[in-house]
Amino acid sequence: MKVNLMFRHRDFDIKAKLCFGKDVLTSDLGLERVLSNMARGDKIIYDACSTALFCPLQTIDEIRYRQENLRDALRKPDTVRKLYEITVETEKKRRSSWHWLSSAYLSSTFSSAIELLKIYTEMLMELRLVADSKLSGFQSEGFRNLLTMIQRELDDNYFTKVQTLLYELKDNDGMLISARLGNYLQGVSYVLRRKNRKGFWFRWAFAPSYTIAPRDDAGATDLSKRRDRAINEATNALAQAAEHLEGFFTMLRVELAFYVGCLNLADSLRALRMPVCIPNVLPLERQDRSWHGLYDVSLALAKNEAVVGNELDTADKRLYIITGANQGGKSTFLRSIGQAQLMTQCGMFVGAESFSAPIRNGVFTHFKKEEDAAMKSGKLDEELSRMSEVADHLNPGSLMLFNESFAATNEREGSEICRQITKALIDCNVEVFSVTHLYTYASAFLNDPNTQFLRAQRLENGERTFRIVPGEPMQTAFGVDLYRKIFANSKVK
Amino acid sequence: MFYSILFRNQEQYELTRRTDEPDCFKDLNLDQIFAPILKSKKEFELEGFFYTSLHDAETITYRQEVMGELENDELRRLFAGFSKIIYNLDRYMVSTRASLTSDSSYDNNYLTRGRMLDYADRYCSEISALAAGLNGKTLRSDGLSNFAEYLTAYSESEAFKGLCTHVARLRKELSRVEYSMLIKSGTIRVRKYEGEDDLSKQILACFEKFRQGEVKDYRQKVIEEPAAAHVEAAVLDMVAGLYKDIFADLNSFCEKYLHFLDPTITRFAREIQFYLSWLDYILPLRQAGLPFNYPKLCNTAEQLYCRDMFDLTLAFLTRDKTVTNDFMLNAPERIIVVTGPNQGGKTTFARAFGQVHWLASLGLCVPGSEAALYLFDNILTHFGREEDLSTLNWKLQDDLVRLHGLLEKATSRSIIIVNEIFSSTTLSDALTLGGYMMDAISALGAPAVVVTFLDELASHGSDTVSMMSTVKEDDPTQRTYKIIRKPPDGLAYAMHIASKYRLTYKQLCRRLIK
Repeated sequence: MKVNLMFRHRDFDIKAKLCFGKDVLTSDLGLERVLSNMARGDKIIYDACSTALFCPLQTIDEIRYRQENLRDALRKPDTVRKLYEITVETEKKRRSSWHWLSSAYLSSTFSSAIELLKIYTEMLMELRLVADSKLSGFQSEGFRNLLTMIQRELDDNYFTKVQTLLYELKDNDGMLISARLGNYLQGVSYVLRRKNRKGFWFRWAFAPSYTIAPRDDAGATDLSKRRDRAINEATNALAQAAEHLEGFFTMLRVELAFYVGCLNLADSLRALRMPVCIPNVLPLERQDRSWHGLYDVSLALAKNEAVVGNELDTADKRLYIITGANQGGKSTFLRSIGQAQLMTQCGMFVGAESFSAPIRNGVFTHFKKEEDAAMKSGKLDEELSRMSEVADHLNPGSLMLFNESFAATNEREGSEICRQITKALIDCNVEVFSVTHLYTYASAFLNDPNTQFLRAQRLENGERTFRIVPGEPMQTAFGVDLYRKIFANSKVK
Repeated sequence: MFYSILFRNQEQYELTRRTDEPDCFKDLNLDQIFAPILKSKKEFELEGFFYTSLHDAETITYRQEVMGELENDELRRLFAGFSKIIYNLDRYMVSTRASLTSDSSYDNNYLTRGRMLDYADRYCSEISALAAGLNGKTLRSDGLSNFAEYLTAYSESEAFKGLCTHVARLRKELSRVEYSMLIKSGTIRVRKYEGEDDLSKQILACFEKFRQGEVKDYRQKVIEEPAAAHVEAAVLDMVAGLYKDIFADLNSFCEKYLHFLDPTITRFAREIQFYLSWLDYILPLRQAGLPFNYPKLCNTAEQLYCRDMFDLTLAFLTRDKTVTNDFMLNAPERIIVVTGPNQGGKTTFARAFGQVHWLASLGLCVPGSEAALYLFDNILTHFGREEDLSTLNWKLQDDLVRLHGLLEKATSRSIIIVNEIFSSTTLSDALTLGGYMMDAISALGAPAVVVTFLDELASHGSDTVSMMSTVKEDDPTQRTYKIIRKPPDGLAYAMHIASKYRLTYKQLCRRLIK
């Protein structure tokens, strides 16, 4: 029985190798807050969403498969949550039953396996009941396959058979064992046998017998050894079955966890009256992007209120240079793009009214950092060393986000370094978004037709709107305004 | 009259000391410098002494002289052992006194009294040993010679001699006590020892003739401590009944000498650790050949300098490869503006400048071969910080808010250290704001170090001195880590570093095409 909610033909590996720079992406793009919101304290949801986010899918087909499932989940949140709850409940029951398969005593593993199987059977029945009543509401390939499989594999006959078997194994009437003769006619190849043939008890009633004397301890020990030999194979089969079922419930939980995480986040964002949409995915070779109302999901969650979104509609661009006022929303804008790219490529919705973007074979960030406390290197050195590490993993078709990179030296030097790196990236087909204060750097691309210039908007009266709009770089960044505001009415001049 | 080895008199000792880290510690790496000391000397609670800078030259000199004298290895060894034992005894006695004044026999029993006698015994021998050790030594510093005088007088006082005599008498009497226990069905009985033979010895003797070859050793390590103190105490109660006089003497000893430790001596035991810990800490650096000196403290900023200065945290990594730097400020010069290629030691220089000042204000010996340093009221620092999404406080605003806070607090007696701010805005903005900042610092009249990428700030006025991090002449990618007086030359070293990381246009294209 396969779950296959994350991939059409394979399991979702929660321990899969994550993309390069996961920790850096998490902190630069503010993803910790997003993941926490999805998880709401559930570690499995956190891990599942984190793995999905940091193993970006590379084909439109795979992404659409998840998007379809997600649409179903958003349509039928209660059912998806109910299914997930069943998996959580199963895990809880397993833990609180105190039955472990790994015992030093065979008889203990035997009875534990039976008890665990009883729990799993009961929970499978619950899944079946959900499938019976809710299947018709689902349209996606993933959820329909899962629910029909549950119905098909777990029909009433099956449950009757399992329950009879489990009952018989616990039966106190006796244990039926078959054996063969060994080299000196000893009993070998013990096999545990069932006792449910017609007329069984009648025939056995007249069989000859030997009774161990009341104080014959050795005799009593011998009998229990025989039982152990007999249940050996059976125990193995039972324990393996229990383990398989545990695996099924775990996989079901992990794969549902991703969708429950999405539901949680969608609920939070809707409560803030922020839109979410299932993005339109374009092939890798495309170089156009368009979106409406794209916002920083992490910022919305941090402020717990609606935040400003941005518009964009471009074609054939490889480089986006974002300049303008401090505190004008540039970093936020950059984060929203990185978030949306990763969310799109794991099949999630994005924080926007509409979003259309090409697949990228990797998302990389290079944000300005605090001075290294260990003092091993200066700032520029540290930035270059980080960039070099990123370069080891970059490929044509990647997405690179720069946030005030290489500004830790003077403008002339910083601009030159930044210009050469950026030029190399775009010439090798890496898509680059670059937030910068380096005017010299920005203006070097003024005549490049494949560069889109954007600027933090500032109204006539100097007020910032936190919107990013098309516009070429200007020489000043309004820092003096800020200075006047902070140093106003101060004894210090 | 001697009162404290860290302060010249009782009034100064009783002034409030800081209990939390000063703001400049993180930027100057002083937190990293003091952490190992404070950790290894945790029980002495030295934080307040390292966190509180002194503002009067006399006390600083008082400390410098004590520390200078403690550079003598023999003297230091003498005090190190003494300090630790006396200070610990003082701490143990706090709980012992609580037990001995308690009504509960669970705490207040002969076991506890026995412990107190033991502490007193150790106290007497430590005091006598130190007094003997210092006898005949000529001490130059006010602090140590006054203490030695105090110790001699104390060790010859009637009170102390009485304590020693009483301890010795009790030890002798108690050594004569010998008793036997009979344990049966959970019962222990006690009597005086009456000459019964050793069973083990007899058994051994008895079976000696069967002995042959090596056998396993079945003995186990036993800890000679009572497992249950109350049982042991009950046994002792019975023993006490058998030797009434001796135990009555012990009781009166405990009553009489409940406060046998001299507070001035225990204070000394704690405070001397301030010096010892610092000298221990810098020992590896001295062994690597790095100089330390006792700076002159100046009330005015007429002439400030430090030769062969270095950053302590870095020196622990680079040891004998440490590069030292000089600075010199002659009036009207007051502001050092450091420019030059990155990773050339600019930040390290700024840190070292702050460190030597803080350390000097504590009366410690400081990195460098010779120095005259400013007697400041506060060290104010501003080093670049990482953007934090949750505070929703952007970089430039943060820079300005913190710079504003810094300038509000500053006086002409402050030391200002500013490291690479305004790097998150445009060149023209940074120049304007940097200019404002220089005006403000200049107007203050306080000594300052400004590390910047803005060459223009280095020629701000007559009070600015330009210093630069330098590179090797034959290979500009190699830093010398020397910061020297020299006007900024704006040379483009950055591309050299870029090529070191294979990030020039050509190199990067080659890497991406693969």
